Amino acid sequence: MQRRSTVASVLARPAGKVGFSLLLVTLALAILAPVIVHTDPLALSEATLSPPTQVHWMGTDALGRDLLSGVAHGGRASLLIASAVVVIALTCGSLVGLVAGYRGGFVDDSLSRMIELFQVMPRLFLVAIVIALFGPGVDRLVLTLGLTSWPVLARVVRSEVLATRTGEFVVAAEALGASHSYIAFRVLLPNILPSVLVMIGLLFGQVLLTEASLGFLGLGDPNTLSWGLLVGESQGFLRVAWWLAVFPGLAITAAILAFNLLADALSSALGGR
Amino acid sequence: MTRWYVLRRVLQVIPTVLGIGLVAFMLIHLAPGDPVMALAGEHGDAAYYAFMRERFGLNEPLPRQLLTFLTRILHGDFGFSYVQGRSTLVVILERLPATALLGGAAIVISLIVSVPLGVVAARRPDSARDTGISTLALALFSAPAFWLAQMAILVFALALPIFPVQGMTTAGARSTGFGHVLDVARHLALPALALAAREIAMLVRLTRSGLIDELARDHIRTARAKGVGELSVLVRHAFPRALVPALTVVATRVGQLIAGAAVVEVVFGWPGIGRLLLTALQTRDTPILLGLFIVISSSVVVVNLMTDLIHATIDPRIRLL
Amino acid sequence: MFLLPASCVKEPATTRANILVAAITSDPGHLNPAITTNGGVHTAADLLYDGLISLGEDLTPRPALAARWTIEDDGARYRFFLRQGVKWHDGRPFTSADVKFSFDSVLLRFHSRTRASLGPVLLGIDTPDDSTVVFRFKRPYAPLLSQLDVVEAPIIPKHLFAGTDPLRNPVNMAPVGTGPFRFSSYAHGTEIRYAKNADYFGTTPTLDGVVLRVIPDASTQVAALERGEVDWLFGVPGPERARLRRDPNVVLDQTSVSPGGSNCVTTVGFNLDRPIFRDVRVRHAVAHALDRQQFVDRVTFGDGRMADAPISSAIAFAHADHLEMPAFDTLRADSMLTAVGWQRTTATAIREAHDVAGVRNGTPFAVTFKVMSGMTPYGELLRAQLRRVGIDLRVVSLEPVVFAQSVFTARDFDVSIAPYCQGVDPQIGVQRMYTSSSIAPVPFSNMAGYRSATMDSLFERAGSALDVDERRRVYRQVQELAVRDQPYIWLVETTNTHAHTRRCTGFGVAAHFAATATCTS
Repeated sequence: MQRRSTVASVLARPAGKVGFSLLLVTLALAILAPVIVHTDPLALSEATLSPPTQVHWMGTDALGRDLLSGVAHGGRASLLIASAVVVIALTCGSLVGLVAGYRGGFVDDSLSRMIELFQVMPRLFLVAIVIALFGPGVDRLVLTLGLTSWPVLARVVRSEVLATRTGEFVVAAEALGASHSYIAFRVLLPNILPSVLVMIGLLFGQVLLTEASLGFLGLGDPNTLSWGLLVGESQGFLRVAWWLAVFPGLAITAAILAFNLLADALSSALGGR
Repeated sequence: MTRWYVLRRVLQVIPTVLGIGLVAFMLIHLAPGDPVMALAGEHGDAAYYAFMRERFGLNEPLPRQLLTFLTRILHGDFGFSYVQGRSTLVVILERLPATALLGGAAIVISLIVSVPLGVVAARRPDSARDTGISTLALALFSAPAFWLAQMAILVFALALPIFPVQGMTTAGARSTGFGHVLDVARHLALPALALAAREIAMLVRLTRSGLIDELARDHIRTARAKGVGELSVLVRHAFPRALVPALTVVATRVGQLIAGAAVVEVVFGWPGIGRLLLTALQTRDTPILLGLFIVISSSVVVVNLMTDLIHATIDPRIRLL
Repeated sequence: MFLLPASCVKEPATTRANILVAAITSDPGHLNPAITTNGGVHTAADLLYDGLISLGEDLTPRPALAARWTIEDDGARYRFFLRQGVKWHDGRPFTSADVKFSFDSVLLRFHSRTRASLGPVLLGIDTPDDSTVVFRFKRPYAPLLSQLDVVEAPIIPKHLFAGTDPLRNPVNMAPVGTGPFRFSSYAHGTEIRYAKNADYFGTTPTLDGVVLRVIPDASTQVAALERGEVDWLFGVPGPERARLRRDPNVVLDQTSVSPGGSNCVTTVGFNLDRPIFRDVRVRHAVAHALDRQQFVDRVTFGDGRMADAPISSAIAFAHADHLEMPAFDTLRADSMLTAVGWQRTTATAIREAHDVAGVRNGTPFAVTFKVMSGMTPYGELLRAQLRRVGIDLRVVSLEPVVFAQSVFTARDFDVSIAPYCQGVDPQIGVQRMYTSSSIAPVPFSNMAGYRSATMDSLFERAGSALDVDERRRVYRQVQELAVRDQPYIWLVETTNTHAHTRRCTGFGVAAHFAATATCTS
């Protein structure tokens, strides 16, 4: 009942509408890539560095590969990577943050040290080091990004919990003898949801951007056709073949915009404004 | 704020730094690839490898190397760079100011631009002004830093030759004093803006959403009901608590900012530690890699420490726990 | 303040008139060319130093610190007569003691290439007087003269290095040499400045100074050249070349010297330890499947030519003409693979093994291709070309250090690729790819793991022969055998393109490229 009204309220906002449609288009392109685009993204054609034409809507790269096919197939990989990272970060982050903030004392102390340890390690550097030392691969990319992304969430959750813990809802619930898990999940969680949702939107964007930055630094995985890889391969062609940088760049930007807009709309819907 | 709270927080830094050292050490030493091979180049042989390994103490068992390493960190000794043959700390400190300048300029720019925008947007949520500001922030937020940097070069250095393409000073320049400051400022403009873009977007969003949340809370309604003036509500009641999540995020951004600086440094040829790290990665200069990792992480630890202490001042309930 | 537009700011006072600004890709870290073979260090430091001899454009030895030399005992003893009156940049005289010290205490210990090539054959270095140096060898040693230039054997000052650790000597950051330029300053990560050495023993440089500017990003380097912020690029990224050629202020030059060495041939290597590639017919089939001209066109953007023999055409005396290299012919590749037992069910399927020796039936023809991160496009094109004949290639791109370990030490790859720079003498640059003694955990050694007693003895004969015609005949046999056994596929003889602004002219080759240049305002 309440859920439906939230969704309706999100979709009622312009940000929600635009975000939702963008996300839908991006997801459709990614999921249906093999159906919509018939060209094999790795197949060579005779046309190398061709600007957008009727045959190649987004042009071709130096080896003669179709960019439209690359962007569509690349979206699958990039979005899957981002989703996996967000799932890891969300699970670890809210759990640790909630427990630390709610239990306090020694538990909070040790968890806070752990949060700090993982959080102070600069993510891009860590990923760059892991990829450069161990070689490119989606598994290590997701794991490293996931393990360095949750602390931000945990910190925000923890400080929100700390700030609401002494709020009247919690005090009232405690006075009524509610269990810890009831308070944590039924009282505290809904209260901190807006901040968490905003963070998830940001996180999706950050992961997509980190993946693109790795591509820029030449650390993309040539076996996983992703937006980051396409961005990386466009580097030498910025002023020779604009389409190579523009279309993957637009795809990344559109996806990030979609997540951010939805997060915005969702947080204002839940905030009851 | 009690003295004990401060002392405890400060002491907590030590295990964190040691933990970082441990993670970094294991990561780098367990990875495939041999620094000695990188030094030898194309024509090394077994005898050469053994000779160099002994020089750098790489022939010792790993646990012993780790112990030596951790003991040394606590004494502030990061060893010698394999490639440069100089003290790692000297090498890092030489490059740190350039990154600090770039990052500092980016933070200053982003604070100056974003906090007023965030407040303006939050005053009337969903107004045309708010929508405009939020959209702009989102657009900036969605563009990769290296892309903004490259576009900045194409537009403001090549198409309109206003700013230089690369570097921190003009090549071969011997200017000093004010001339030098101006020269650096000209070179700083584009990289700092490219780096600031994302921070601006982030801070506008956080200031805005934090303030909107606060303005809707009970104690604000109570204050308003009591007839407290709108400005006073904003400044005395809403702003300090809305600032908590924003401050948390700014603090957590320091590490990411340095990482973002690395990408911008590569595009503009800015001589900072981000580029030092990428070079050290290619040459497998382990002492520099470890030193940088610890220096960067520790600076984030210190900023976190300061944020926590500030939090405790703003929101006294935190230190009661 | 940093928002101040430049139009309000006066250009800083620089006299760029006769100063050359050249872009380098990474900070060299130090400036001692005697302790490393690192290309970046040599690019930056060789301007400050000299070798006993220098190599001309045609790679013939010319006098440098040594005015002349004699070869005695059929090539087992070399006597060098040093130039008189040469001074170090700090004014101290240069003597034979500096030469002996440089070799004994530094080059033969820390310069891995000189250590590997001279170390095993050198008996000792004598200095009968201040201006004579004698190299004594265990047996006649032909290649010595091509190993004494500033890249292979720079001479460093004994008075500043004796009794110190050469790897940590502060002189490495503020060097004192004999070269055409003297050191001025080194701002790490930013630039290195040099001033001309007015007392240089050779032709005094016409430039007043040189600035080497560190610019890591290749596109930024090109932009800086177009804006005139730098005058010289050591390399131009392929795609940008056509555009730069149309720029009236820029000149492009093609050379066979690249930062990694000279006369490089990009070579694909099969791991012969893998059962899939033990059969020479499979290796021939793969060679037929490759359209090598496409690599020249789409990967190097015309910077290079299709290799037509295992030895580079730039090593003219050893290069074999009219060899029968496998031609591009997918139908032939297809039928050869099918004949061996690698069959495919449809025209697009991946092949599977049917009664292939050492391979279980039904095994797909899927192999791992390891490549250094900068060369990934080769892997992507290779993958696309082999896919057409039903071979599945997984491209693993690795940082150079990890690549070296994984391919040459762990030998954990099926197919790989490397830019083998063959240099001047096949005994050094080519032998390491083929002899069984070169199967070692050393980068750019015998990657394939190729063993042939005939090949080993051919190289032995070539090494002791002093007569050029005899060596040519032996190297022809080497190349014929290599093509027959096909442990490698020789793809592209790569060249390198320099670019410079029109205001600067007169560049030389290689190490002392700036010594003869001039710039006008």
